[in-house]
Amino acid sequence: MRANGDQATLLGLWAPEASANDDYEAVEGLDRASIECVRAHEAEAARKTASDYEHIVWAYGVIWSVFAIYGVLLWRRGQRLRQDVQTLRSRIDRA
Amino acid sequence: MRRSSVHGISGRPYRGGAAPWPWPRAFRATTAAMRLPRQAWLLAKNDLRQELRDLELVATAGFFTLVVLVMFGLSFASLGLSAQPLVIPGILWLAVAFVGALTLTRIFDRERESDTLRALLTAPVDRLAIYLAKAAVTLLVLVGCSLIVVPGLVLLFPAAGVLAEYPLQTATLVVLGSLAYASVGTVFAAGLATTSGKNVLLSVILYPLTSPVLMWSLVSTRALLEKHPDLSVYLAQLAALDVLLLVLGGWLFEAVLVGVGRGKAGADRGARSRGSRDARDARRRRR
Amino acid sequence: MARMIPVVLLAIAAVVFPLSVKTIFLEVGIERQLGTVQKIFYFHVPLAWIMMLFGVVCGIAAGVQLRRESRGGEAIAIAAGELAVVAGIGVLITGPIWGHASWGRPWTWDARQVSTGLLWLVFVAYVLVRRYGAAGSERLAAALAIFGAVNVPITYYAVKIWKTTHPSNDVVGTLPPEMWAALWPALGALLATSIALVMIRARQERAEMDLDDAWVRAEDLGPNSKPNPNGDAT
Repeated sequence: MRANGDQATLLGLWAPEASANDDYEAVEGLDRASIECVRAHEAEAARKTASDYEHIVWAYGVIWSVFAIYGVLLWRRGQRLRQDVQTLRSRIDRA
Repeated sequence: MRRSSVHGISGRPYRGGAAPWPWPRAFRATTAAMRLPRQAWLLAKNDLRQELRDLELVATAGFFTLVVLVMFGLSFASLGLSAQPLVIPGILWLAVAFVGALTLTRIFDRERESDTLRALLTAPVDRLAIYLAKAAVTLLVLVGCSLIVVPGLVLLFPAAGVLAEYPLQTATLVVLGSLAYASVGTVFAAGLATTSGKNVLLSVILYPLTSPVLMWSLVSTRALLEKHPDLSVYLAQLAALDVLLLVLGGWLFEAVLVGVGRGKAGADRGARSRGSRDARDARRRRR
Repeated sequence: MARMIPVVLLAIAAVVFPLSVKTIFLEVGIERQLGTVQKIFYFHVPLAWIMMLFGVVCGIAAGVQLRRESRGGEAIAIAAGELAVVAGIGVLITGPIWGHASWGRPWTWDARQVSTGLLWLVFVAYVLVRRYGAAGSERLAAALAIFGAVNVPITYYAVKIWKTTHPSNDVVGTLPPEMWAALWPALGALLATSIALVMIRARQERAEMDLDDAWVRAEDLGPNSKPNPNGDAT
């Protein structure tokens, strides 16, 4: 049975070198229990990374939106002030 | 009023500054320095005398303290002996905080109702004396309420027995903590003593600002309950904090009161004072 | 010329920001103990610094406002106070997000957390008093800002003593230099944005104060010309 040749995983690091003529090579010293243990460990790490990224996205999103909302509020305040100045100007022009 | 109260020994009005000849220089300086405590004492005595006439503040504050104590007792009745020292400081200082907020909303009531705040400001009274007098009255109310809370705690929670064993330390702790609370709260109670009386803002301001002093008192109370050796250090730090807050409060009190006086003057002129929010809002509504 | 400063600052921030994100995510490695989520730290810590900085600025400007009856000081105090509230919202949300991801506990009653939260509450109170206070309460708000700024070291120290009897979760230790290299661009971007926003807000406040004066004078000049209740259509 051919072992999973994925070089990125730990198993890949432990696997013996692929022979030149691509013959079948028996995997020595690795039993099902330790393979499952390592797989579970990898799955846990992957879950944590995914959860971490979710938290990161939320955190950065909060920061940006907080500043953006404040910017929008300032913009609206400026609009109101401009309108007020306009009213005053026309008021003075009439008088 | 005794003749020699705000008047000089000779009976003539003593307006401060250089005393008339032939009083010796040292005597003049001492009399000048004594003016502030004397004025503060007079104002406080006046407040207390008026209070003792109908006992409104004392009775309501005392009853409120009792109610708060009972509610806390009910909430935490089932705590074990090891958990009680964690909770008792919080109960004590939360009770002080609640009674303090209640007292402070009413400490300037007399001035607000009869509009005498501006009269006080124009009188030849040192502003600092007003501050010290009001803070002293608040302190007395808080200490009085602690006289209900501390024995109540000793009765309700066995772990609070330490408070009864070391009455001197407990008394010092209570007085210092209440003084810190009163010194911060009086400034802001004065600032909100306008006729419109937006007292909801006082609670908004008071709790975050007094949390540090309450926390320091909490730490000290916890040290007392655990018979911590560092207790005297905490008490000394609390005393230093009191001095700092009194100085800061005294400086800010005058600034705040001037703002109140000015604000009322603006309101009397029909809300056209400079930068008045009411004027701005009125304009916006007209538009 | 001085009018363009905020715009320039915002442009700088807009450029530095993508650079800092790139540095954080592509160049710095993953921290060994805390994992990927530690990347939040690069914006969380500068935001906290900015909040403290503008809190102090607000307190000092409030002192200047009281001492010298200065309108400029008042405008800066309002602007700095509002920005401290905004930055505080950012800090107090990203902190628990990080805590939740790392230890499953959003709020740990750590000394720094509590003192930051209380400082934020004080400045929220400041903004509320300015907005909803009665006519004379500008000076009260200034006193509030000053007291708040003074209270911070007291709170921090008190909670620290309190917590020595409990286990604490002090996270920020010493940082390797490559992490500092990622921190500075983030700090720069946030600082540029904050300063630009404060300048804009302070200028708006100043303009509003002068505008109030102008309205009062206009009303004095023309007592017979009533303003149109439906607004002046031009």
